[in-house]
Amino acid sequence: MLDGITSNLERYMDLLSARQKTVASNIANADTPGYKTQDIDFQFEFMTLAKGEQPQVIQTPGLADKSDGNNVNLDQQARLLSEDQMRFNLASVLVKGQLKTVQEAIQGGNTA
Amino acid sequence: MSLFGSLQVSASGMAAQRTRAELLVENMANSETTRTPEGGPYRRKDAVFSSDVEASPFSAVFQNELGAGVTVSEITQDTGEPDRRYMPGHPDADANGYVAFPKMNPAEDMVDLLNTTRSYEANIAAISSVKDMISRSIDIMRG
Repeated sequence: MLDGITSNLERYMDLLSARQKTVASNIANADTPGYKTQDIDFQFEFMTLAKGEQPQVIQTPGLADKSDGNNVNLDQQARLLSEDQMRFNLASVLVKGQLKTVQEAIQGGNTA
Repeated sequence: MSLFGSLQVSASGMAAQRTRAELLVENMANSETTRTPEGGPYRRKDAVFSSDVEASPFSAVFQNELGAGVTVSEITQDTGEPDRRYMPGHPDADANGYVAFPKMNPAEDMVDLLNTTRSYEANIAAISSVKDMISRSIDIMRG
């Protein structure tokens, strides 16, 4: 039980931190001429990624270029930033719950 | 590990925006400067940003790092013709009585400064969000 769910959650959190890094980099480069918005294909990476491997960076398609060739949409990145943060928080609460269950099992239900 | 890298990326964004803000303020402060060490009137400066992923391609590939920071790759100087004003009494006036003043557009500089402030704030928002994620991870260990 601990293995299945917890390791999936761990991978999920890993991917979220990687995604958060691309978002941070997009925001940092919001004024860099010619910079293209980067992202990771979340679902694909979650299904295929082996543990400890770095996900593949892709360029977000369908974004309009500004006059300097940059296509970072700050509003969209702000949404991703808080969305990833909330997902990460949820995952961390779930992991905590998992660990608590194991702890309770070890203590035979005497959590007091 | 990945999360701390994000902090570094956002910090590079803040540093770059701060450099740009410094240049803009310098431009505004020197909007009437007619003497510079290089001679002639002050010339408007601007920062050129570039993404710093290409800075060390080998190590980037080696560590398979994603996400790039930003650096100020170049500081450009305005090369346009200066503003000429007829002020015969001025010590820097030429033979015809014209003084070369920097070509400034205060509105442009103010708008750029506002943009810089917003981008700086966006980087701060990214840092607080990542900080929250890091403290949540630490919370897991607290049980």
